[in-house]
Amino acid sequence: MLFSAVIVQIAGFLFIWTIFQRIPTINGWSMWQVVMMYALIFVTEGVGSLFFEGTWRLSNLVYTGQFDQMLVRPLSPIVQVLANAVGFNGLGNIVTGLVLIVIGILNTPVQWTPGRLLMLVILVASAATIRVAINLGSAASAFWIKAPWSMVPMFVHQLGEFAKYPITIYSVAVQALIVIAVPFAFVSFFPTAFIFGVEAWSIQGLLTPLVAIYSVVLAVWLFRVGLRRYESSGH
Amino acid sequence: MALIEAHGLTKKFRQAVKEPGLIGSLKHFFTRQYRDRLAVDHIDLSVEAGESVAYLGPNGAGKSTTIKMLTGILVPTSGSLVVNGLVPYEKRQQNARNIGVVFGQRTQLWWDIPVIESFNLARDMYEIPVKRYKENLAQFTEILGLDEFMNVPAGKISLGQRMRADLCMALLHDPKTLYLDEPTIGLDIAVKDSIRRFIRSLVVERGTTVMLTTHDLGDIEDICKRIVIIDNGKIIHDGDLAKLKDTYARDRVIHFQLARPPESMAAICAALPACETTTDGLRLSVRFDRFRLTAGEIAAAVMSRVEVIDFRIDEPEVEDLIRKVYLGQLSLESTDSDTAAPSLVEA
Repeated sequence: MLFSAVIVQIAGFLFIWTIFQRIPTINGWSMWQVVMMYALIFVTEGVGSLFFEGTWRLSNLVYTGQFDQMLVRPLSPIVQVLANAVGFNGLGNIVTGLVLIVIGILNTPVQWTPGRLLMLVILVASAATIRVAINLGSAASAFWIKAPWSMVPMFVHQLGEFAKYPITIYSVAVQALIVIAVPFAFVSFFPTAFIFGVEAWSIQGLLTPLVAIYSVVLAVWLFRVGLRRYESSGH
Repeated sequence: MALIEAHGLTKKFRQAVKEPGLIGSLKHFFTRQYRDRLAVDHIDLSVEAGESVAYLGPNGAGKSTTIKMLTGILVPTSGSLVVNGLVPYEKRQQNARNIGVVFGQRTQLWWDIPVIESFNLARDMYEIPVKRYKENLAQFTEILGLDEFMNVPAGKISLGQRMRADLCMALLHDPKTLYLDEPTIGLDIAVKDSIRRFIRSLVVERGTTVMLTTHDLGDIEDICKRIVIIDNGKIIHDGDLAKLKDTYARDRVIHFQLARPPESMAAICAALPACETTTDGLRLSVRFDRFRLTAGEIAAAVMSRVEVIDFRIDEPEVEDLIRKVYLGQLSLESTDSDTAAPSLVEA
């Protein structure tokens, strides 16, 4: 599990590297910038798996009624859902992703001050928070879709694939989707723009912590509304 | 105010109506059809602290749904509900500290870790003072015999062991109220007995309020003083168990084993007016209303006419009574008056 995640990531990196052997830039974005977006998507996914794998099990818990148990304990059901499982494959994603991020940073043209480094840490933490909030919010669909396995979280998860590349290559509709509706662009694209000091997009990069708060509020709200609909099983 | 106070409590479920087969599934996808089902229909229930209540009803009557509303798992569709001063579904976490829950079909134990580790987690979760935790754990371990599997993961122990461990888990934090949903389902007689004894001791010694649903009527007689019967989402009986028996289970049957066949059945029957007398070879059975005649009178009347080798008395069984209620053969509306004749409707 752990090594397969590493292999998948290295293959992804080689794919990007091969493309950039043929063309100098994608829509004005350099190889290391695209690698950074790619790495951020993987690091945050790793954080989601390693510490918050439980969101992926919510639909099953709700369908079978095992979710009952979380409602009769003196702990927040959201915390219990998040901490319900550990996905060790996340470790591989985190480690390789972090290595790619460090290599990426070494290839940035900007001067690294302590303040800028602190901002980097805040951005990566915010990106991970957005990712987990998206997972939780989409997992809450289980309260509406009464099936043992819901397609919604997987579908939303796949939207993250768009954010592996600069959003400028997409149509306005796709941009709106991953900037506003499901803010994956704040997981990878905007933080990368800030890290590389890309003038046109850096300011939006600084909004990432605010977007993280917005995502958490929205996810918790969705979960709470769904929870009122919870019907357990076997009446 | 009572510990549990419910007024007009109602839960409506929306069920998808799907026709069978692939065509049915496709049709359902485009034109969704639903049917509302009232699982619990405007029930009023009031339970005082320290009471032990059996909550009975046939399958699908609304027992579990009621318990799930009382524990805060389900949000009622309408009606008011206050348990220990809290609205359970609004203050789930606070409510959870006051209650213990054992669902016979589920477990609160973590599947892959030793039982004792689950208990330790409960200690941290409920913030049980260490001293109290140790006392409770020692006491429950001894009464329920948990020692032999304390270090085995919950996934590897038998159903009976799991139920005992679950009971311990639910009680470590000294809950005021214990909800039991079919606690003895699938258990052997020895385990059933030890669990019933244990629950009874909680009621007597700790004053724990117990609300229990079951299909095993032995559970009721051993543990509960009050029985509430729900059918089709409505409460059809709520009252004292002893009183219920006095009102509806008035008949007793004495079986005599005779030395030789009686010479005249008619003479015996004549001596026992208002009784139902049946014979089968050397056996003679007399069914009588224990409020009109005593067993002694019957025995004396029979023994003065025939030689009796042996006899025994059948107690009325609650089981019989409840079965009649479920089948609609017995209406329990007149439990208020002690002397009211049972309204038996022969089906």
